Amino acid sequence: MNKEVTHCLLCERELQQVITWQTLFERSWPPVICERCEAKFERTHYTTEELTTIFYYNDAMKNFLRQYKFSQDIILAKVFRQELNKLLRNRSETIVPIPMNPLKKKERTFAHIDELLHAAEIPYEHLLEKTTTETQVGKSKLQRQQVAPLFSCTKELAAKHYILIDDIVTTGTTIAHAKKALLDAGAESVTAIVLIKG
Amino acid sequence: MQRRTKKAHYLGLLLHPSAIHSMIGRIMRREDLPYTSKLINLYIERGLLKTQPAISTIQGLLKTHFRCERCLNTQSEKFIHFHCAKCEQVCTYCRHCITMGRIASCTQLLTWAGPSPQHPKKHQFSWTSTLTELQQHASLELAASIQQKRQHLLHAVCGAGKTEILFQPIYNALQKGFRICVATPRTDVVLELAPRLQKVFPTTMIHVLYGGAPEQQSYAQLVIATTHQLYRFAKAFDVMIVDEADAFPYTFDESLQKAVYKAKKPDAPITFVTATPSSKLLKQRDGYSFLPRRYHNHPLPVPRFQSLWRYKRQFKKDKLPKQLRQWVEQRIEAKQPFLIFFPTIEMLEQALPLFSPNILGVHAEDPTRKEKILKLRNAEIQGLLTTTILERGITIANLQVAVVGAENPIFTASALIQIAGRVGRDEQYPTGDIIFFHHGISLEMDLAKQEIQRLNEVANE
Ligand SMILES: [Zn+2]
Ligand SMILES: [Zn+2]
Ligand SMILES: [Zn+2]
Repeated sequence: MNKEVTHCLLCERELQQVITWQTLFERSWPPVICERCEAKFERTHYTTEELTTIFYYNDAMKNFLRQYKFSQDIILAKVFRQELNKLLRNRSETIVPIPMNPLKKKERTFAHIDELLHAAEIPYEHLLEKTTTETQVGKSKLQRQQVAPLFSCTKELAAKHYILIDDIVTTGTTIAHAKKALLDAGAESVTAIVLIKG
Repeated sequence: MQRRTKKAHYLGLLLHPSAIHSMIGRIMRREDLPYTSKLINLYIERGLLKTQPAISTIQGLLKTHFRCERCLNTQSEKFIHFHCAKCEQVCTYCRHCITMGRIASCTQLLTWAGPSPQHPKKHQFSWTSTLTELQQHASLELAASIQQKRQHLLHAVCGAGKTEILFQPIYNALQKGFRICVATPRTDVVLELAPRLQKVFPTTMIHVLYGGAPEQQSYAQLVIATTHQLYRFAKAFDVMIVDEADAFPYTFDESLQKAVYKAKKPDAPITFVTATPSSKLLKQRDGYSFLPRRYHNHPLPVPRFQSLWRYKRQFKKDKLPKQLRQWVEQRIEAKQPFLIFFPTIEMLEQALPLFSPNILGVHAEDPTRKEKILKLRNAEIQGLLTTTILERGITIANLQVAVVGAENPIFTASALIQIAGRVGRDEQYPTGDIIFFHHGISLEMDLAKQEIQRLNEVANE
């Protein structure tokens, strides 16, 4: 499926074909970025009961996000599919991506969180919608927490346990609001896995 | 009565002439135009803006082929298919030109189809130096080729003063009201050319285009651009000059070559300028000027070969090979600025910590490249380690040059000739050291040395 990626998606150098042993229980894809680019991403090893993050927001990650979201280079969703797959594949909770504003999604032509999960072959369900189009930029942490709820549930909840997925966490307000919306709708537990710790 | 109000309404919407000027010869994404949809539609209805889909599909026998209408790329691996939330179907985007703003199947491309303005014919030509006899001769030949709309190859050794040869033919073309493009594959060459041309043509509107360059409005009669930036143009130029026409990636990326032809008007002549023409360029030439001698009449420095056995292993062990260390010490002792070329970024990064902190490294992805070169020129640092990115366009007085791993296939004969051509360019310091450190002499190294010696002989005849 991935044979067409012969050059690093980030720096265009030719990819060395590495032969890896694929075990019976682990999904493994051939790499889409070179070792040199991969080494530039810095892992956080950050896991609490509530939140797991995978990478720090360093220069390499900043460039990645700019190219993925701003330049709309959707194929970059494949860069972190191995990590996301590994973390999520055996989870029994329902996976819920943080939703995008529908107008913003149309403008960007894709929902970046959904595409990350899609590339990692992780099934997910949209259960939230944004209640306001106001952005958080320019507001203090206190202001953000005081504003009206950012999300509401779109459906009656069928499951009890949930994992929220987002691309980047800074103050944690987005995750907190999403979590509250799910808990208010009857969820028993809500944790979060976020690609980048800002 | 109703008609009249409608007309008045339309007139109120009309674009300012300067807005139109900045669209001429350009291929634009609809969403990049800062006008309302209503206004754009009006111009389309009136036939003043032409629309075309960004990605065209050609139905083949077994599969569908794609072509990007901006960069003319057709490589299938550069097209990404996805479910698009905007057009709500499977959509395709081109990765090859994505740095200029992504274009996909549902992107509309626009070109100006209305009348073109009269270009100013009055230009100031502030150039007082004189050409050598050889330069003068080549300049006249080139001007004649452009006049007759003929393709021309200007074959001039490194340091022959090829840029000065272009001044008079460019001035002639400007006076005729022609629009001229000087394109080159290398950003460094654009940055070196632009201030020189602006100085010679101080009243001419010049646009300088390269990846990351500031947005430039209005209309420029003279455009200096990387060949990449030509993706943005269609049928724009009356005269096309391609400088360093054999440099990477131009010769390897077919879409860049197509872009040169797409950006010029169909009957506009092309001039190719290079010190190391490929056999293909030599064959397809129409007009031809050859300058085997440097402007200061001194011969080209001939490279010397020095073995540097197992240098890769030594770098890996954090050891600076002895002969290389001695060479660097001699340069520092003599206070001579120097460049050391490496075949790969990896090796450069491995070697860099082994040198003194007063020696920096540059490579293609380095955003501070310009500043580092300036530091070397201003003697704020002693030397630079570099990849082949600096093989062209750089001129620093009294520069000394070493190549590490000269036998690596990335150092083709023409790359080595260009690298050697960095040395002895200044009239005050017409000689200098050019040394190829190697682990075994390659055919390309031999070819480079032979060609330099041959050119020196021809120049003496
Ligand atoms: Zn890479
Ligand atoms: Zn689309
Ligand atoms: Zn393209």
